[in-house]
Amino acid sequence: MRAYWQLTLSQLRIFLRNRQVLFWTLAFPIFLMVIMGSFLGNGNGISLSIGVVDLDQSFQSDEFLTTLMKNKAIDVQLEKSKNTALNKLKKDNVQLVVIIPKGYDAGLSEIQAKTTPYKLPVYFNETNITASQVGLQIVNNIIDGISKDKVGYQPLVAMDVKGVETLNLKYIDFLVPGIVAMMIMSNNMNGVAGQIAAWRERGILRRMQGTTLKASTFIAAQITARLVLNGIQALIVLGVANLIFGVEVRGSWVTLISFVILGTLAFMAIGFIIAGIAKTPESAAPIAGFLSFPMLFLGGVFFPIKDMPEFLQPIVQILPIAHLSHALRETMNVGASFLSLGTEALILGGWLVGAFIIASYTFKWE
Amino acid sequence: MDSHEEIIQVMNLVKKYGDFSAVKGIEFQVHKGEVFGLLGPNGAGKTTALEMLVGLRKPDQGTAIIGGFDITREIKKVKEVIGVQLQSTSIFDLLTVEEILHLYASFYPKQVSISSLIEEMQLADKRKSRIKSLSGGQKQRLAIALALVHDPWIIFLDEPTTGLDPQARRMLWDIILLLKKKGKTIVLTTHYMDEAHVLCDRIAIMNQGELIALDTPSRLVKNLQSDSAVEFRFENESNEVELHEVEGVKQVRKQKDVYVLYTDDLQITLTSLIQMAADRQLKLADLQTRTATLEDVFIHMTGRRLREE
Repeated sequence: MRAYWQLTLSQLRIFLRNRQVLFWTLAFPIFLMVIMGSFLGNGNGISLSIGVVDLDQSFQSDEFLTTLMKNKAIDVQLEKSKNTALNKLKKDNVQLVVIIPKGYDAGLSEIQAKTTPYKLPVYFNETNITASQVGLQIVNNIIDGISKDKVGYQPLVAMDVKGVETLNLKYIDFLVPGIVAMMIMSNNMNGVAGQIAAWRERGILRRMQGTTLKASTFIAAQITARLVLNGIQALIVLGVANLIFGVEVRGSWVTLISFVILGTLAFMAIGFIIAGIAKTPESAAPIAGFLSFPMLFLGGVFFPIKDMPEFLQPIVQILPIAHLSHALRETMNVGASFLSLGTEALILGGWLVGAFIIASYTFKWE
Repeated sequence: MDSHEEIIQVMNLVKKYGDFSAVKGIEFQVHKGEVFGLLGPNGAGKTTALEMLVGLRKPDQGTAIIGGFDITREIKKVKEVIGVQLQSTSIFDLLTVEEILHLYASFYPKQVSISSLIEEMQLADKRKSRIKSLSGGQKQRLAIALALVHDPWIIFLDEPTTGLDPQARRMLWDIILLLKKKGKTIVLTTHYMDEAHVLCDRIAIMNQGELIALDTPSRLVKNLQSDSAVEFRFENESNEVELHEVEGVKQVRKQKDVYVLYTDDLQITLTSLIQMAADRQLKLADLQTRTATLEDVFIHMTGRRLREE
């Protein structure tokens, strides 16, 4: 038992004294989070500008413009002529162009008597279909509102919108748990692989093998020290996310910490396998990179998994990082309980057990 | 035959790597309280033999009894009574001298006082220094201190002074002799003949996985049956010299362009050599005489120098 505590303490001392590694393993995720969070953190990632050409210059067209400008989701730009407006649309400077033709005022006044509605031309750019669709939806709603107002329409049935999670989630809420998952993956998988391979090369492990120290004690101490370090690093990242972006943990801390522990263990086990396979410390880093890099992009760290192409789905669905980031996300954003995340826990547990079994076969002291 | 207690008994120890036999069935005993030297050129199997004794490699055949425990069956018990300093191993750079000693002490059920161990190894002023900042000699003394944290009976040192400057070597010799005085048994490998001569009570010479001699240093030299060596070069190289014809010469050896003649009668050999050189109009250069050393024993037995240049 004394050996276990001494080794844990020594490992923590080594972590703390290795200032550069400590700084960069923390600086990188925080840097990434702040950069991506600042660019994409607020809103839904689509910015909408609508160009409006007012050829009517009447009371009605003015009223239409005011209504359009009231909508905070869009940025209204007044254009002099139809041609300049359409040119901007082609360059994607604006995503929609609305033309209010001459006679709009008059057209509306006659509308009471007519049954066909007045046509308002709206141009969009097919190359930017997502933004155009959203923009058309917004404009359509406004026009609909105006026409209903004009005819004194009273709705009989109305939607009562209730989000299932009644939360207003932004990209940053998606990003932060992903960053924590990424940190756990790279610190453990890459960290363990590199460190153990280097210690083996330098004969540190061999020297310890010459004592009565048991391998299990050594590994247990490694795990403990890394859990402490990861826990603290995760807390720092969450703290920064809270300070800068106001991201909070909605679920229970116990669940969150459980998944941090589970993720740490699973990725450490994979790290031990890499350390076993790698013949030199120099080859450990590329092997770890080969595994961690695809996981970073496929595993739902930065982008939702459902955005991945269909043929990648089966691969993505078994990656441990996908389940770790999903579980952390559900806990932090939605406040899911540990029990409701049983599948994630089970899959991570499966990786943990499987990897440790393989690691125990591939692990070499020298 | 003698009253010594045998603390190590090596019995037919074999280690193979594929077709290559690194150690071919060596046998020897080490007495309690002696300094036992294992000598041999690179690749002779010294380190492999040592590593089998301390439990880092499994012997393919044979075994050894160390401190009463069998290395193939009770290696954990063996590790409790031995201390090891291995060649080319390093320890955690970022820990301090004191911390690493406490760490290694925690691996064993029994420990000595760390502070007095630090004093003894002359590391007192480096107590709080990181291992990274130690000199070569200090690192080596720390490595020996690590071998002593659990007060072992037997200490294995694999080339403890290789790569050290002369002063650091002397310091280490003092430490080894101090350990001997305290009643420890020491098994060491070395490349340095002077070191073996100063430190070792008995020396085993290994060559190509076999034990080819085992005796006290002085008796090994005596067995060479030549007291003196004459070394020289010819300034104008001549291949036709029959140096065996020089009077009193028992053996001739040539290393690069330096000839070594072994003789029991230095005066006769020298006179005869100079006469012969004069007769054949050969010019002698760098002529020197010395008494035969362990190095000569070694060359005589293995045909190789200990340290190949």
